[in-house]
Order: sequence, then structure tokens, then C-alpha cells
Amino acid sequence: MKLPSPRWPSLRRPVLHWPVLHWPVLHWPSIRGRARADAGPLVLTAVVVAVVSALAGAVPSLLRSTADEAVRDAVRRAGSNADVTVTARWEPDDGETGRIRMPRLAEDVTALRERALNELGGGLRAALLPPVAGVITPTLKVTDGSVLRTLRLGYLSRDGGPAVTWLTGGEPGPTEEGFPEVAPSGPPWTVSIGLSETAAAAFDAEPGDHIPVADEKGNPKDVVVSGVFRPADPADPAWRLAPWLLEPVTGADGLGSTRFGGLLSAASLPDARLAFGPDDTKRTVWFSPDPDVLTWESADRIAATAVTLKATSASSSSFDTASTWNTQLDAVLRDVREQVNAASAQASVLLIAVLTVAVLVLLLAAGLVVHRRTPALAVARQRGTGLPVLAIELVIESATVALFAAGIGLAFARTLVSQSVSGNGPQPSFGVAALVAVVPVVLAAVMAAPVLAVIAAARATRDRRAPANRSARRRVARTAQMRRVAGELAVFAVVAAAFAALHQRGVQPGAAVWLPAAAPTLGVLAGALIVLRLAPVGAGFALRWAVRSTRPLAVFGASRVAETAGRVLPLVTMVVAAGLPVFAFTVAGTVEAGLRDGAWRTVGAEARLDLAPDSLASPELVRRIAGQRGVSHVVAGQVIDGARIVAEEVTVSPRLVIVDARAFRELLEDTPLPDGGALAGLESSASPSASASAPATASASALPTLFPDKSEMSDEGSSVPALVLSADGGMRVGMKLQLLRDDAPAVALTAIGTAPAIGGAPDVVLVDANALATAGMTAEPDTIWATGPGAAQAITTSGVAGDAVIRTEILRERHDAPLVSGLLRLAWASAVVMLALGLLGFTLSAAATAPDRWQTLTRLRTIGLRPRDARRVATAELLPLAAVAALAGPALGLGLAWQTLGPLALRLLTGQSADPAAHLPWPALIVVSTSFLVVALAVAPAESALRRRQHLSEVLRVGT
Amino acid sequence: MTLLTVRKITRTFGEKETAVHALQDVSFDVEAGTMVALVGRSGSGKTTLLNVIGGLDRPDTGTVHVDGVEVTALDEDGLSLLRREKVSYVFQTFGLIPVLSAAENVGAPLRLARTPAAERERRVALLLDLVGLGDHAGQRPGELSGGQQQRVAIARALAASPRLLIADEPTGQLDADTGRSVMALLRGVVESEGVTALISTHDPIMMALADRVIRINDGRITE
Repeated sequence: MKLPSPRWPSLRRPVLHWPVLHWPVLHWPSIRGRARADAGPLVLTAVVVAVVSALAGAVPSLLRSTADEAVRDAVRRAGSNADVTVTARWEPDDGETGRIRMPRLAEDVTALRERALNELGGGLRAALLPPVAGVITPTLKVTDGSVLRTLRLGYLSRDGGPAVTWLTGGEPGPTEEGFPEVAPSGPPWTVSIGLSETAAAAFDAEPGDHIPVADEKGNPKDVVVSGVFRPADPADPAWRLAPWLLEPVTGADGLGSTRFGGLLSAASLPDARLAFGPDDTKRTVWFSPDPDVLTWESADRIAATAVTLKATSASSSSFDTASTWNTQLDAVLRDVREQVNAASAQASVLLIAVLTVAVLVLLLAAGLVVHRRTPALAVARQRGTGLPVLAIELVIESATVALFAAGIGLAFARTLVSQSVSGNGPQPSFGVAALVAVVPVVLAAVMAAPVLAVIAAARATRDRRAPANRSARRRVARTAQMRRVAGELAVFAVVAAAFAALHQRGVQPGAAVWLPAAAPTLGVLAGALIVLRLAPVGAGFALRWAVRSTRPLAVFGASRVAETAGRVLPLVTMVVAAGLPVFAFTVAGTVEAGLRDGAWRTVGAEARLDLAPDSLASPELVRRIAGQRGVSHVVAGQVIDGARIVAEEVTVSPRLVIVDARAFRELLEDTPLPDGGALAGLESSASPSASASAPATASASALPTLFPDKSEMSDEGSSVPALVLSADGGMRVGMKLQLLRDDAPAVALTAIGTAPAIGGAPDVVLVDANALATAGMTAEPDTIWATGPGAAQAITTSGVAGDAVIRTEILRERHDAPLVSGLLRLAWASAVVMLALGLLGFTLSAAATAPDRWQTLTRLRTIGLRPRDARRVATAELLPLAAVAALAGPALGLGLAWQTLGPLALRLLTGQSADPAAHLPWPALIVVSTSFLVVALAVAPAESALRRRQHLSEVLRVGT
Repeated sequence: MTLLTVRKITRTFGEKETAVHALQDVSFDVEAGTMVALVGRSGSGKTTLLNVIGGLDRPDTGTVHVDGVEVTALDEDGLSLLRREKVSYVFQTFGLIPVLSAAENVGAPLRLARTPAAERERRVALLLDLVGLGDHAGQRPGELSGGQQQRVAIARALAASPRLLIADEPTGQLDADTGRSVMALLRGVVESEGVTALISTHDPIMMALADRVIRINDGRITE
């Protein structure tokens, strides 16, 4: 076999060639070997990337689906308020001597429906259910002398429905065919109606019977029963518009009233029009939104279309047959849009916080990996490995780990998102937003270790030493110091800009959302930099104290602390990772507390009964509620929304509340609501007789002033003291006010204090009922507030017509609302993840410094330090970092919460009229603080246990 | 009077085919107040022997007695007490604490021994004068040269008045001139303080300064 001849270096002059770029030759065994050697930190990196990718990837999609659900939920809650209605007058039916019967009115109703469908436009039509067209007459009173019963006639038409089955008799027919002209002075025109089984039984009516009814002016109407029907489908949406056609409804027309319905047919509709005044009935088409097809994206477009329709429709007072559009859907969608924007802003803030902590922890992990690899990398450099080759090899390793982990995280997020969507709503897209959210984490995981490693390898082999000249060394140090100061100033400038943006315009959706949304995170970061500046000073003090101390171990612990106090990344990471969970916990705590406060403010008591129109809170009713078990206070009062009050020549429309001041103060003192004290000012100004007559018991306290003796009404014309609350400052303490009345002179009021918020109204005027009665205005109580554990039950079972508003139900509804529950879940999850990342970061930081620490401790052991004392010194080294994190982090998190929660508009979710005060769940603060200390206390024994098998000689030999 | 007695020490690293017999049946005595140079090639077992004698490592078999105390029978606390009172080390890499001044480094063993502050300061000043660094008491290790750092390390080793001073290649990281001055210092310390010194070295000058030279080859004493 011929051996290859050796290649000797040529001694000839080298020939110059253009440089040829060669693809770097990677050393795969080195890549595999490094990965195997540092499997632990790499696995930790992968876990961090996977967990944060799962969270960050899930949030955008969950936010979108939650926004969709919030839109649907808001529309469902709005009920008929979200309906889109279009009304139109009839063609005039004037004849020569009277009114002409128009037999084709049902066709006119259908025509209006078709016209409305055309005017709707495709976008809005797709979001609405098939319309129901119809006519509903004014209310008639049944005049058979029995209890108060009312009757309304209704005609409904919906794609051939709603279908009914006639049990007896038949469909209402025309009173007279053709176009007869009816004289206005003639007898009431007869109208045929159908009755439901329940109504027929209640009236004991059969086909052919007449129901004695009259309108509100007492004019009798002639209504005859043509038949008794049963609905083919009681759940048909058409019946929702007139449920009284099927079942009587109590309280709809006043206290103790029961409303019945009479079904009109296409044939009897013309007779119904003739039976009432020319403009008493109108054609109406109702469109109900279909919540299942509504989405956050479509909400804006639908709201805009609704506004356009309302703006371009005819005035309701016009006398032509043009259609008039009405809906509150745009307002409902506008409100929910504000809520979604607020929730998105809050979610962005939390997400940025999580990503920041994750990136910092990944940098720590990268630092640990590089710390372990530096000797090997230096050797590789010395053997000729180029920095580009090293960089590529390390990027291959880190990219493999990061992308694999991110893939797992995103797959988990996708599963989470798909499982979290309930009902028939559309599946949320899992797209670009989720991928964008994980980019910072993946980028940090891919690039941090290679960049740090290349820098370390370059430094290890760089022939660059500190200058021998002292002034040159000082210059180098000064330059480094200036560079650091410049960096810190840049950070502070960004923080200032973020805060300015947050406070000036809040976190509005858009391209520049990240800057204000990052304000809390940047604030904590800036605080951490300040702590970083103070840490060496503190460590120096501690060292000087330890040197003078008689405790033998103090100086060793303090010396290690002084050595490590200036390390930037661990301290910044710990402070940020302790501060931001506290911020997230504070967000959650503030929302929870705000919800509780908002529910109290909305109700004003444990339970409230808003009596139906034309109903009054009788003394018997108040006594009955007060007598229920578990009721501690009951107050009846009158609430008038939109009262006309002149304040300094400007008319305002606040909510006027007339209550017994003393009883209401006692009731408020039984609640967490503030501002009850101001009511004492009204009590002292009330007449002595009224104050003295107020008994101590709940049941009677409301009665004397709300139902005053007429003989007490005197002193008309004197100024009545009042409490005022004004959102825009239009009413202020000390102002003279005039309460305007329709048929009576105005009542003079004097604002002597601040009123409590009543039902969340921004503008409130509260007066004492007795004082007002003295001034000549008697209250007509229509609202009852009650407190005590049995208040909800007592109000709910009061048996009178009205809306029972229960605080616990309001709280549960708001708490379970999609946006609120979603934000709370995100806040808690973010806090837990950030805390876990912070603790992991602490462990990584400890692991990075462990070799140096135990090298020092081993040397100290050679001069007689006992093993347990070595553990104590190690703990003493680790504790200050944990203590700084435990103290400075939460302090910064709390401070930032105080500074930034206002612009984040949590009130939109809590139902409060003002921004809630930051509320910290103290147990969470204790958990955050103590967890860092506990981990610090656990790390030193763990490190000691890991090194137990190592002899001192091995450590020293390795160290040398 | 015999200060150090080493009997039948064996120490093996690894197992079976990969076993390395670092020390094999090593026995010798060292008289008090003498300076002994331990000489041998790299890997001959010098450092292992010093570690076993100082209680930094435990032998597989055999016993070590220092000043009447059986080192090989002590537990960790006992070994700590031994190193605090009877045995001290000087390492090739000095082993000083960087954020403490030279004086504070020298006083570290005295702190562990709970020596009163006044006596500690007096002793530290004395030792720094002894090693010629009385004017550098306030300087940190980073501000001192390699030779000065090793002098501080020697002063620290002497701080607690040990009976046995173990030095593992104390001049290994120093240039020749500095190394010679350190060796002279060690020789002077042995004479002035009455310490027994066991020093591993390759340096012929150190061998010449020693009262006795023990040669070790492949884990066996060949003296």
C-alpha cells in the first residue's frame, strides 16, 4: 500500500487569491456533547419556553373568544333593549263622514316587514333573527268589577307563524267585510279576538262572549271572543314580544294588576284599528339579534349600521308612513366594546409582564449555561474554532430546544383554546396573534445563550488586558460608568414616555398599544435599576458592620454578598419577578373588591325592590318585609330619575332620592358603603317631631316620614337641606338649588353635603322626606332597600309587582361575566406563572454562583469552618437577594398598581362609577415575599447535600 | 518529639480496571519544628498525601496522627477543629477572599477561633510584619502582586498558631525570584514560630532549604 506523502509547507511566495467563502464546518459531536453535559439547564429552558408559549399563545385567542362571548352575553342580557324595531304609521283612513275600514292592513304590516328587510342591509340582517311584524294596541281595563285586570290586543306575523290550534270556536273574523265607513259618534266598533286557554278560563269566556273593557279614559270597547287557541309552539320567538297573549302577566300595568291578551287575526286587525283612535296603533317590525352569530369583529360594523339606520330614519313625530328605526343595540355594543377594550388593555399589560419575566429568566438560564461552558469554549477557541462556527453550533442547539418547546406550548395552547369555547359560538382562530405573542420568548431562548457564549469565548481568548497606567484604567472605568448611566437614563426615558402615554390616552387598541401597556412592567424595571444602584452601597455597609462584628460568620457571609451584589441580571430579575406577580395579584384583588363594591353601590343595600310604575310602597308592605327573619333595616323612599333641578341658573337632571335620612343612614351603616355620615346633617335639620318620632326598629323607622301626617306639612318656602353628588361638578356643597315641579312652585334646596352614590348614578340629590314634606312636597315611595342576611329572601318573596335587585345576584352575574372571569383567570395565572418563573430564576442564579460560593466556602473550611457553618454562610449569601426581592419587588408592584390601575379603567368591568382603589390581597403578598425567602433557605442545604460526596481535596483540586 | 506519624496509608481512586493507586502503604514520621520537603513527579501522590494528612481526604486504610490526635478517626467537626487549631494550609492559588483586605484575610482563622478583637488585631499586625506586608494591611488581594498574595496566605496559615503547616506547591504560580523569597519566608517562619512544615515542591532550592526531603514515586515513599 502506498502511503500518502506528507505535505510540507511551501517556502515559495504565496499567491494572492480572492477570498473564498467556505461554509463553516460544524463539529456535531461537540454540539451533542455540550447538550448532554448541560441537559439540566436546557430542559429548564425548554420548560420555561413551553409554559410561557402556552400562556402567551393562548391569551390572544382566548381574549378574542372571550370578547365574542362578551358581545353575545351583553346582547342576551340586554334582552328586548337590543331589539331593532321599525315602526310606521298606517295610511290615513279618513272618509267623508268618518273613518273607513281598511281590510288589507295585514298586507301593510307584511309590506313594512319587507321594506325593513331591504333597508337593513346585508351585514346587520345576518346578525338578526327573522323579524316579527305586528300591531299591539293600547292597554284596556277589564270593567267587570273584579280585581284590576287589563287587556291588550295583539297581531303577530312571522313567516307564517306563530301557529295556533283553535280548541273551540275559530280564528277571529271581520266584523264587517268591505270598506264600510264608521261614524265617530257611533257605538264602539266590535273586534273579534282569540283567547288562550288560561285567559279564557280566567274570564270564564266562550266563543261569542263579550269581554267588558274600556280605555284609559273610560270609553267602553266591544271585544268579542271568536275562539280559544293553543299555541303550536309556545317557544316561538314571536310570542316573546307579547307573552301576555299566552299567559297573564302580573304587575305589568301597575301594582296588583294582571295583563291578559287577545289575539288578532289578519281579518280582525282592521276592526281593531277602527276600535281605537287613528294613531293609537302602529305597524311595528321587531328584529331580535341572534347572539350566536355575533362576534367581536362584527359588533363594530353592526353598531355603525344601527346608528346609520337611526340617523337616516324618519322622526317618530312625523305623520307620513315612513319607517322609524329604533334600537339600543348600538349602545349595548358600544358599552361592551369599551369593556372589551379595557379587558384587552389589562390582558396586554399582564402578558407583557409575563413575557418580560420569562425573557429575564431565560437570560439567567443562558448565563448559567455559558458559565458552565466557558472553560470548554475557551479551549475550543484555543484549538482554532472560529467564533462564527461556535455561534452557529450554539444557535442550532438553542433553536432546537426553543422551537421544540414553543411548539409543545403552542399545541397545548391550541388545545386549551379549543376546549375553552363552549356553546355554539364559532371556534376562535389560532393564528398570527398567538405566534407573535411567543416571539420574544423564543427569540430570547434562541439567541441569549449563543450571544453570551460567543462573548465569553471571545473574551477568554482576547489578548486585551487592563491598561497598566492608573489614569488609563480610571478612564476605562469612567467610560464604562458613563455607558451604564446612559443605558439607565434611556430606560428611564422610555418609562417616562410609557407613563405619559398611559395617563394621557390609556391603553387604546392600535399599533402603539405596547408602550402604555408596558408601563407597569417598565416601571418595575426602572425601580429594579434603582435597587441595583443601592445594592452595592447596602452590601458595603453590611460588610463594614460584619468586619466590626463579633460574630465570626458574619464577615464571610457579608464578603460573599459584597462580591455578588453588583450582578445586574439576578437582582433585576428577582425584583421584577417579585414585583410583577404582586401587580397581577393587585389587579385581581382590585377587580374582586371592585365587583363587591360595585354590587353594593348598584343595589345600595343587600336587596332592593323597585316597584312597578304606578305602584307605591305601602306601610303594610314595608312592615311585612321588615318583619321577615334576618332583615335588619328596611327603608322606603322615592327615586326620581331625571329630576329637574336648577343649579346656578343651569338645569341639571340628577337622580332625586327622597328618604328618611336617619333610617337611610342607619341602613347605610349596616353596609360597607361610605358617605352615610353626611346624612346626619339632614337629620339635624329635620323637624324635631320627625326625628323624635323615628323609632329604633327597622320595620317602623321608614314609616313616619315617608307617610307623613298632613298636619306636619308647613313652613312652605323655606330651603330644604340636601346632599348632592355631581360627576361634572355642576352641583356643589353650599349651592342653592331649585327643584322644579310641573303643577306646583319649585322647592328651594341647599346643598349641605355630599350624597352617597345611589344605584351607581353619577348625579344624585338626596333630601330628607320629612323636610321635603314640610316644604310642601310629599314623597311617593317606589323603592325599598333592605339589609340583613334575610333581606334578599324578604324582598324576593314580597309578592308585589316590581324588580327585585339582589346584591349577591348582581355580584355573581358580574363575576361570571366572560370578560371579568377571563381577566381574573388571566391575572391569577399570570401571577402564579411569574412567581414560579421568579423562583426558578432565583434557583438558576444560585446555581450560577454556586461554584464560586462553594470554592470560597471550601477554602474557609480548610481554615476550620464547620460544614454547618458553611451552610449558614451560603444561606447568608443568598438571603439578601431573596430579601431584596421579597421587599423591593412587592413594594414596586404595589406602587405601580397604585399609579397605573386608574388608566386601565377597571371600573368598566367592576360596574363602579369611579376607578376602584387598588386593593391588595395580603395573603398573596405574603406568599410572594415568603416564597423567595423559603427558596433561599432551601437552596443552601440543597447545594450542600449535592456536594456532600465531594471531598474537600477534590473541590480544591478542581478549583485550582 | 514526633509531631506527625503516618502509618500504612493507602488511597485508591476509581474501581477495578480504572483504579488508580495514589498512595500505597505509606508510612513515615516527622519531628516537631522541622521543615520537610515532599518531592515527586506530577501524579506521584504528593497532593493526595498532604490532603490525607490534613484531613481534607480520607485514606482507604492506615492512620495519621498529628500532635497526638488521630486524624483518620475524626468526624467532620473534629476535622474542622483540627484545621482550626493544629493544621493549616497554604495553597498554590492562595485562596484569599477578594473583598476582604489583607488584614481581614489574615484575621479570618482568628475569627473562627473567636479570638478577641484586640488580640486578633495585634496578632494580624505581627504576622503581616513577619511576612513583610505591614504597609499593605488595608489592601485587597486584587491590589497585591502574586508574591504578596502568597505572603498573605502564609500569614493567614500562621494566624491560629498551628502545629503543622501544609503547603502544596506554594511557589507554583510565582516567578523564580518571588518564589525564592516565599521559600525563604517559609524557612524563617518555621524557625521563628516553631512550626512544623510539610511542603510539596519540585523546586531544588526549597529542597535545599528543607531539613529533610521525602521522595514519593507512584504512591510509595522511596526516601
